[in-house]
Formats: sequence, structure tokens, C-alpha cells
Amino acid sequence: MTALLDISDLHVTFNTRHGRVTALDSVSLHVNAGETLGVVGESGCGKSITALSVMGLIPAPPGKIAGGSIKLNGEELTTASPARLRALRGAEAAMIFQEPMTSLNPVFTVGEQIAEAIMLHQKASHDQAFKQAIALLDRVGIPSPDTRARDYPHQLSGGMRQRVMIAMAVSCRPKLLIADEPTTALDVTVQAQIFDLLNEIQRDFGAAIILITHDMGAIAEMADRVAVMYAGRVIESARADDVLDHPQHPYAHGLIDCIPNVGKGDTSLKEIPGVVPPLHLLGDGCAFAARCAHADARCTREKPVLTDHGHHPVACHAIEEARL
Amino acid sequence: MTNQPMTETYIAQSPSREAWRMFRRNLPAVFGLGLLIAIIVITLYGAFLYQGDPFDIVWAPHEPPGVTPEFPLGTDYLGRDIVAGLLMGGGPTLAVGAVAALITMVIGISLGALSGYYGGWVDNLLMRITEFFQVLPALLFAMVLVTLFSPSLWTIAIAIGVVSWPQTARLTRAEFLKIKELEYVTAARAIGARNRRIIWKVILPNAAPPLIVSATLTIGVAILFEAGLSFLGLGDPNVMSWGLMIGANRDYILDAWWPVTFPGLAIFLTVFAVSLVGDGLNDAFNPKLRER
Repeated sequence: MTALLDISDLHVTFNTRHGRVTALDSVSLHVNAGETLGVVGESGCGKSITALSVMGLIPAPPGKIAGGSIKLNGEELTTASPARLRALRGAEAAMIFQEPMTSLNPVFTVGEQIAEAIMLHQKASHDQAFKQAIALLDRVGIPSPDTRARDYPHQLSGGMRQRVMIAMAVSCRPKLLIADEPTTALDVTVQAQIFDLLNEIQRDFGAAIILITHDMGAIAEMADRVAVMYAGRVIESARADDVLDHPQHPYAHGLIDCIPNVGKGDTSLKEIPGVVPPLHLLGDGCAFAARCAHADARCTREKPVLTDHGHHPVACHAIEEARL
Repeated sequence: MTNQPMTETYIAQSPSREAWRMFRRNLPAVFGLGLLIAIIVITLYGAFLYQGDPFDIVWAPHEPPGVTPEFPLGTDYLGRDIVAGLLMGGGPTLAVGAVAALITMVIGISLGALSGYYGGWVDNLLMRITEFFQVLPALLFAMVLVTLFSPSLWTIAIAIGVVSWPQTARLTRAEFLKIKELEYVTAARAIGARNRRIIWKVILPNAAPPLIVSATLTIGVAILFEAGLSFLGLGDPNVMSWGLMIGANRDYILDAWWPVTFPGLAIFLTVFAVSLVGDGLNDAFNPKLRER
């Protein structure tokens, strides 16, 4: 079985005032049809850049896909023409953004915006498209959708707006749905509803989902497989249960320890000391070395490679040397 | 906050309707709009009622106002009726203003939009062209254009448009630079919209408020511009306009004040009204002044 999306050895660089920095360093991922891949990591570790590369939306310049390949349904995207990419966007792969407050156009009604998205990819009259938009709003659980379709984004709550974004994203039945931190800007109670909705949508539409998040709880609830990213590299990749139950990389350990365990008597909030290093200061060694309790001389000298050391693929010298 | 009935909150508040609600609360703006409508109605209706040619010599020259009931505002240096001139000249004056503003907006918005959206060498090229037009003294440049292409209402309107678009282009460019970075533009791209659609249907509607204000104020400036050209003797000599009346009578200003004062007053009132409307629109579109 070939994967729906196959990213291999992807390099993305950005020209900054610190010179050229590598935002993605030989990232390899794949997503099978109908499954959910969780991509986790802290801010600035390359999750969103990965998503934007798939959509062909890396701001260029300053960004540039410097190497590697992205194959959607076997079709190479890195060399595809702008017109071809445009035809694929929305129809084959769609994206849900982090901020539902700002990702809808404020001067058009939400029904109008969904109808526009439909008309971009399907031969439909405006009336038909608008009817479909109302049906979609109904599908994503918006009450009295025919009135709501005539509302402007500012009249809807954050959760409602994210539902509208989801309706717009699935309007042309894409095979791949990229959700870039879809619940970060929402209330906790609404977050669960949105995850439920995404699960339902996935069941009904059979779409694969890439869920980008820094919330391990979301991963536990949604993902089939997980890729942990750090400083532009994939450092651990496995089935979600494996990563959650037996995290290998010290960073993945840290992320899981950060989930507060309510009711287990432990009231202190864990954290990973330090921050993700700025991309222009990355040296030759493991990017996590400075924050890692198990780092030794080799870790600061040599980049670990993603390899299977018995459990599942992980990029860590300490595990390779069985020091951990 | 008072409890509003449900039905009221359910009425869709389109941005334009919201702006109109704000505009109606602004007394000077409503006054300006009323004055402007009155001026338009009077000049259109008056010109329709007045049968005859405002260039006709109907009475003795320099008849002061209020002396002969037939000519309440007097006559000019050739004995032409000033009321007739005001009524018949209003339409062309307003038309030149409107057409010039339209040309300004079309050129300015097109170039500014392309420049701001695409950036890079397109931006560089278009902005250098814009700067070239900006450093030319506007009035002199317009005079050259009108002289080259023989004065008529059309050439005057085109000349005014050609010299005044750079400001609009810069304003449009600035708005586009700001809006194109917003997330809903990326979202539009992510569902497969092409550049043309993003420029005209996503960014431009969001950039509209300052552009509408600028367009309104441009009408006022264009009317003044037309008056200035006419005053310098570059107006269309075959069509009566307020500027032409001032221009024709300016040599006799010390002997007779009324042939220049009344058209001057008409221009003043019109530009004043347009400015009030423009300021009102500016406030109406400004979300910071909007109390909820």
C-alpha cells in the first residue's frame, strides 16, 4: 500500500538576517489514507512549516524548498506548476488554521465564503454552492445553518468560526486535511467538541488528517501515529500508543511528563528546562543536547539519525548506546 | 449593557450597514450629505428648468445683485445672467470632479494593488513610476496636458486624474502590504484561490474603507483643481462652469465683486459638503470610534 502523503528527506531553508537557516532538516513523514498523524513539538520546531510546504504555501522568498520530495497520491509537489498546486489546494489537500478569529474574511458572510470555496473547484451555480454551504454548516453542527450562513464572522463565537473553517476545508472533500493547532485559540470545553467533530468528519469523509499540536492530550485522543519534531527534525516516530506509553527520546519523555496528572496527588507542573535554540545557532550536534540530562560529548558533536533501536524509530545517541 | 431582544442581535450586520449606522449618527456628516444632495438636485433640476444659454447676453453688464428682480444675482462683465451661470455651470463642475476622481481611483487602485500584492521588482518599477508623477508639480503638469490636448471637459478631467493618482496608489499599496499578511489571505490561498481573485475579492474589499474616504475627498480636490485651471484660462471655453465664471470675470474683480463671489461661494459650499461627507465616512469606517 502506498501512502497518501509521502514526505521524504525534505529540506526547507529561510534567508534571514542571520544568513540562511535550515527550518526543516531532512524531514520524512508519511500519512496513509484515512489515518490521523499527529505532529508534536514546541513552538518553532517546524510543525507549521511542514504543513505549509505540503500546501505549497511557504512564503518564497525568503523561504525555499531546498531538497527532498513531497508526494501526494504519488504526484510530486515540489516540482509541480503553480497552476497544478492551486488545483490541488482545497480539492485534494485542505488546511484548517490556528486562529479562527483571523482566518475568515471579515467582509463576507460565512455562507458566501464556503460557497466561493466550492465554486473554485466544482462547476456549480452560486445558488447550488450556497445550498451546499448551508448543508455543510449543518454537517459541522452549527444550529439553524440557513440563518447562520448569512452571518458575518464577527457575529460567531470562536468555536463556531472554527466549525465554519472545517466546513470550508471539507467543502470539496479533500483526501488530506491539515489541522494546524486547530484548538489552541479555543476554550477547553470547545476543544473537545472540535476534536469530536474532526473525528466524525474523518469517518464520514474518509479523509486523512495531519494534526499539528503541542498538546499531548490531543494526540492521545486523536492520533493513530505520531511524529515528534524538534528544531526542524523528526526525532521520534511511532504509533501514538507507543510514543505515549514508551516514549524513547528524552524530549518526548519531557513532553509527556508535562501533561498534568490530575488526581494522582502530584500537584507540581513539570516543564522542560530551556527553550528551543534559535535556528541560526544550531551546531553540528543534537539540537536537544543543551536541554538534555543524558547528553555527553558525542551528542554535541554529531547529529543523531532516526533509527530503530529495538522499540521504534528515534534519533538519540543515548538510546543507541543503551545509556538510557 | 442592556439586554437586547433576540431578534435584533440576529439581524446580520454587514460592514457597510454598520458604517451607515455610524454615519447617520454623525451630525456634520449628515449635514454635508444633505448639502451635497441639495447642490446636485438644484444644479440638475435648475439646469433642466432654465431654458436658454448661460452664454447669452441678456442685460446690461455689471448689474449689481438685488436691483433687477429678473436677475437676482446680477450680471457679469458681458451682461450674462449669473443665476443662469450658476445653475448651468454646476453640472459640468460636478461632472469633472466625479470623472477626475474616478480616473484617479482606477489608476491609483490598480497600480497600488499590483505593487503591494506582488512586491519585488513589480513594486520597485511601479513605485518609481509613481514617484516620477509625484515629483512633478501637479498644477503645472495638468496645465501642460490641457494645453497639449486643447481644453475640453474630458481633457481637463483626464489631466486632473493623471496628476492626482499617485497618492491613491500609495494608500492602496500600504493597505495591500498590511492585509496580504493576514491569515484569511493565506486561508484563501489554501483553498486554491488564484492571485487575481485574492487581489480583487479578498484584499480589496477589506481595503475599501480608506479608499472610499480618499475617493470622496478626491472629488473635492478635483473640483478645486478644475476651478484653478479655469481661473488660469485653461477651462473649456464652450461649457459654462463655476471655474470659468471666476476666470472670465477675474479682471473686473475690483469693479464688480458679485460675478466672482457667487460661483466662488458655490465651489466653497460643494467642496465643504464633500469634505464633511469624507470625514464622516472616515469616522464611520473607523472601528476605534465605534462604541458597541
